Amino acid sequence: MNPKLKLNLQRALIYVFLVILLIITLVPIWMLMVNATRSTAQIQQGVGFWPSVYTASNYQILLDKGLDLPRGFFNSFIIAIATTAVTVYFSFLTAYGLVVYEFKGKKQLYNFILILVMIPMQLSIIGFYHYMSKLGLTDNYLSLILPSIAAAGAVYFAKSYLESVIIQDLIDAGRVDGASELGIFHNIMFPIAAPGAFTLGIFSFVGAWNNFFNAYILITTRDKYTLPMLVQTLRGDVYRHEYGAIYLGLAASVVPIIIIYFLFSRFIVSGISMGAVKE
Amino acid sequence: MLRKKTFKLNYGYVFIAPFVIGFLLFGLYPVYNTLALSFTNTTMLTRKDDFVGLDNFIRLFSDKTFLTAVTNTWELWLMNFIPQLGIAMLLAVWFTNVRLKIKGVGIWRLLFFMPNLLMPAAIAALYFSLFSYYGPVNQLMVRGGVYSEAIDFIRNKEVMRGLVVFIQWWMWFGWTAIILMAAMSSISLSLYEAAVIDGARDFQVFRYVTMPLIKPVMIYILVTSLVGGMQMFDIPYLLTDGRGSPANSILTNTIMMYMRFRSNEGHIGASSAIGVMIFIMTSIVALLIFFLLRDKEPKAVKEKEI
Repeated sequence: MNPKLKLNLQRALIYVFLVILLIITLVPIWMLMVNATRSTAQIQQGVGFWPSVYTASNYQILLDKGLDLPRGFFNSFIIAIATTAVTVYFSFLTAYGLVVYEFKGKKQLYNFILILVMIPMQLSIIGFYHYMSKLGLTDNYLSLILPSIAAAGAVYFAKSYLESVIIQDLIDAGRVDGASELGIFHNIMFPIAAPGAFTLGIFSFVGAWNNFFNAYILITTRDKYTLPMLVQTLRGDVYRHEYGAIYLGLAASVVPIIIIYFLFSRFIVSGISMGAVKE
Repeated sequence: MLRKKTFKLNYGYVFIAPFVIGFLLFGLYPVYNTLALSFTNTTMLTRKDDFVGLDNFIRLFSDKTFLTAVTNTWELWLMNFIPQLGIAMLLAVWFTNVRLKIKGVGIWRLLFFMPNLLMPAAIAALYFSLFSYYGPVNQLMVRGGVYSEAIDFIRNKEVMRGLVVFIQWWMWFGWTAIILMAAMSSISLSLYEAAVIDGARDFQVFRYVTMPLIKPVMIYILVTSLVGGMQMFDIPYLLTDGRGSPANSILTNTIMMYMRFRSNEGHIGASSAIGVMIFIMTSIVALLIFFLLRDKEPKAVKEKEI
């Protein structure tokens, strides 16, 4: 066969495969969005692929059934923002210490952090719960936020990033100017590392927003439920046959992440590869 | 001038102090506490917390449900990991191939990765709705004449297992593809050119140039996916009734751990024992993968140099 023709045929087959894969990827998400705007009657009548106009009434049904979506939104948002701030600040602080200074035990600490990344949360969560309940910190957001001070994976990421951007001359210049060591970190290096900090921030935010298990173990009061916990209640009998409302509740919990993704996909894609491909 | 012998503070310690303190309080102590609890019969209701030695573990090993949970976790992970790696590898090879010049690589990649970021709890509930008795899948199939009566998917063991595998695959193949692509694009083009000049065909280039060079990244993907797979919870938990139904077919390690934790009495001793077992199992296999695959690498390179 003509090599040119063969290449074109190969290309055509690949595009067909990609389109099929794309349909499989997107149809469930599209169905979720569309059904959130359709009434339960419409959903029961048949499958539709175009949005309808019942978003507000679906929302009203959710509220009437006692699902406080705004409250869940607010709770999840507070936790995600606080977790992100704590993760980004402390992991860059730790990574900076590991990159810039020489001290005894530094290598051991770094190797230890690498091992920590691999430890599953199942090994600590029950012990953590037991200990928090003794301290009276269960059902308190602090128990979800504070552990991020020691986020091993984030330190690993921050260290990889800092190694590629740190300029020793700037640190030395700062010292000559009489800046304190912490001042150099806050005022000189952190701004330089901002793109990396932002990337890490997106990942922490998404992770905290989606986290179901830890909150499900630690939080008990209904008013403090996070979005994934509210989503979990949607399976209950109260919402039986209120399909439109259920889809709306689910859609509301994924839409913010989709928006963040389309706004910052560049950071996300490069951030994933950065963790894995190291020269 | 008076020279005082001052203690010179090493700022390295100042910078790492919060991490170390945070780790001791929120990382190490909870792990120690879980280990300690796993040797006791502590429950949340009663005040008892007696040391019972290995009782919890012995009970686990004689419990058929635990065996089912472990087998399920492994099967569900393996069944999604193999196609996940396969499809991701195809995508990465196509997207980085200079001869094929696939258009819009950035957009394909962007869209294929999207499911990964969505809330697993919501995704599980979504698939539950899509496959419910009156759900869209049954509607389409019955109206389309594929089958005449709606199928009760939610009570079908094979369908539910398949669905968990599918959802995990659907959420993760894009992630794997992005990492493989990054690894493949970091390979120097001159290596490919040399292989092509030597008359290597596409598959040979892949097998003898690409594969050996992306091996460290493959190990990373394998270990990360394994650690994640052994923790599988949200999807199988929320897809059915939270007990791994139908008939324990999608009961995983972590679901079982949670069920012990939330049982009537709250057996946190027994629950901890499951957590410890998950850790031991995961670490042994992860270390095995790491050493088996890593040790071979220098040898393979040497052979080729000769």
